[in-house]
Amino acid sequence: MGLTGLDIFKQLPKTNCKECGQPTCLAFAMQIAAGKAGLDQCPHVSDAAKEALESASAPPVALVKIGTGDKEIQLGNETVLFRHDKRFEHPTAITISVCDTDDNIAGKVQEINKLVFDRVGMTFSVNMVAVCNCSGDADKFAAAVKTAQENTEYPLALMTEDVAAMEKALEIAGAKKPLIYAATAANYEAMTELAKKYECPLAVKGADLNELAELSEKVTALGWKQLILDSGAREVNKVLADQTQIRRQAINKRFRPFGYPTITFVTNDDPVQAVLDASVYIAKYAAIVVLNTADPADILPLITLRLNIYTDPQKPIAVEAKLYEVGEPGPDAPVFITTNFSLTYFCVAGDVEAARIPAYILPVDTDGTSVLTAWAAGKLTPESIYELMQKTGIEEKVNHKKLILPGGVAVLSGKLNEISGWEVLVGPRESAGIPSFLKQRWS
Amino acid sequence: MIIIGERINGMFKDIKEAVLNKDPEPIKEWAIKQEQAGAHYLDINTGPTVSKDEQPAVMEWLVTTAQSVSKLPVCIDSTNPIAIEAGLKVAKGKSMINSTTAEQAKMDIYMPMAAKYNAAIIGLAMNEKGVPKTADDRAALAMELVVNADMNGIPMTDLFIDPLALPCNVAQEHAPEVMAALRQIKMLASPAPMTTLGLSNVSQRCTNRPLINRTFMVMCMACGLDSAIVDANDDDLIDAAAAANILLNKDIYCDSYLKTFRQR
Repeated sequence: MGLTGLDIFKQLPKTNCKECGQPTCLAFAMQIAAGKAGLDQCPHVSDAAKEALESASAPPVALVKIGTGDKEIQLGNETVLFRHDKRFEHPTAITISVCDTDDNIAGKVQEINKLVFDRVGMTFSVNMVAVCNCSGDADKFAAAVKTAQENTEYPLALMTEDVAAMEKALEIAGAKKPLIYAATAANYEAMTELAKKYECPLAVKGADLNELAELSEKVTALGWKQLILDSGAREVNKVLADQTQIRRQAINKRFRPFGYPTITFVTNDDPVQAVLDASVYIAKYAAIVVLNTADPADILPLITLRLNIYTDPQKPIAVEAKLYEVGEPGPDAPVFITTNFSLTYFCVAGDVEAARIPAYILPVDTDGTSVLTAWAAGKLTPESIYELMQKTGIEEKVNHKKLILPGGVAVLSGKLNEISGWEVLVGPRESAGIPSFLKQRWS
Repeated sequence: MIIIGERINGMFKDIKEAVLNKDPEPIKEWAIKQEQAGAHYLDINTGPTVSKDEQPAVMEWLVTTAQSVSKLPVCIDSTNPIAIEAGLKVAKGKSMINSTTAEQAKMDIYMPMAAKYNAAIIGLAMNEKGVPKTADDRAALAMELVVNADMNGIPMTDLFIDPLALPCNVAQEHAPEVMAALRQIKMLASPAPMTTLGLSNVSQRCTNRPLINRTFMVMCMACGLDSAIVDANDDDLIDAAAAANILLNKDIYCDSYLKTFRQR
């Protein structure tokens, strides 16, 4: 939503001098809100007011980029509090940290590189490696950053509040636009200088939300606006509250100091609790979540949750159109036809499983629409079914020529029989009827 | 959609007689009937037969009588600020003031009163010059109401702007302007001010008034109408409001949406 008349009016000088051509400041504000006048027509408006009005028309959460090339991360540009209102735009960057006191930094970084997973036919991975200056030693930190950079393509987060250590690390890694973590009340002037010099995104860390807002304003006043916010909270309940406030204030109140993506840290030593904490942060607005585990069993559930939360609710979710096996089907197993709408597919798969008879399922590519929707739109046709049967080579897998069609599209059975030569059994209208259907009709 | 039941108004004969005879029964009866029909507010108006001096006492009596049998909040409807304040003093729940215009002298009385009693307030998009013709002029007056409410610390969610519907048989060109004004009012502030209409006015002395009322209400809801002062016992009208709420994706659909709407 653009600026409202009230927002604009509050910034005007309220002189009612008529020099803008309008009878009152209020009328002028209405004209601007309607796009019929420009702010420059008022000779008395202050620079601060101009700045406030211009920044208010910017997106509520700024877009911030970390890294370069293929592995560059984009964060921010979010516009909603709930994904069902529109969608979440940029998935949380999952970041694994390594300490500069670690004996085998190269080895740990290579473990992180391996955190790549296959989900629904696509690959997903972690996004960033954070190098922490646990030693407090600038040279040791620089060496660790060097090792990390040589061993991974992922962007780095350089984590130290020591300006001298950061400077050394940036001499090595600065060209690849790492995240500088973090500017605090004590060091923000020097850290901002470094961020400007290397043109790197800068994390701003406050002791609480109030200090964070102050600090964010001070850094932007110094002329740097590629920011990532850290409210300092580490307990999960406090992080949840702070994340919610930051996103709410940015979007609902256009509070500029909070108009940036956020970073969160998982600090729990118990791996189960750590994954649960990270799940909360992924669901609740965190742009970056930093963990210190590289165990694939910890990361896979988070990658999956992130994929699910950041899917577009307005687009149907589809499964791949290929041959699926339930159990270990033999040559005499039944073959079910359905569509590749994930909701439809998983209903059918679940009910076939419940029947405890191994089977094949063929979900036709209907652009992720349901059986009746696809049928009405001409996407579930005898031709499209036969095409998938040929593509998947189902004829070679089974020793019979029988298909089971959803009961809702019984009308397709004749034509399908004609073009495929297979016997078409009309199954139940609801997949919940599959177990009893198999008992009565398949044996 | 917030339904403000219009029936406890001295303009109606039974209410007028009840006021004259100090008979609480018709007041109670209509309070209960309107609540059961799905109203969210009870409009309370002493009517023109009560003299100015008596209005505060009568208002006080009407409000307490109605709220003795109904848990609904009241919409205190008077042109007399003393009567309104008398009603606010005894009213339970979140009251509504009906109404101020965009005339500065009136806003200076009613806006602080709304703030003091934490009441919602209806602001009519008109001033001493009368009802504006165009949507733009209505929106300009609405803006005056928005700014004055803001200065008095009244949240936008408590300001109900009424763009003023006129009878469609004699002022037909106003209806589309009202709808355009509703859209503009929703853009004036963030969060947006609320909107309302004295709906029955649109069909004064017309044929098949209920049809005109509910059709106009649904059209206005599509333009951002949040509430209306209506005949809450017009079942077809309440059905239309419930259906429109569904189609605007404001209530989650269920098969019993007509019943659900009336229960909230």
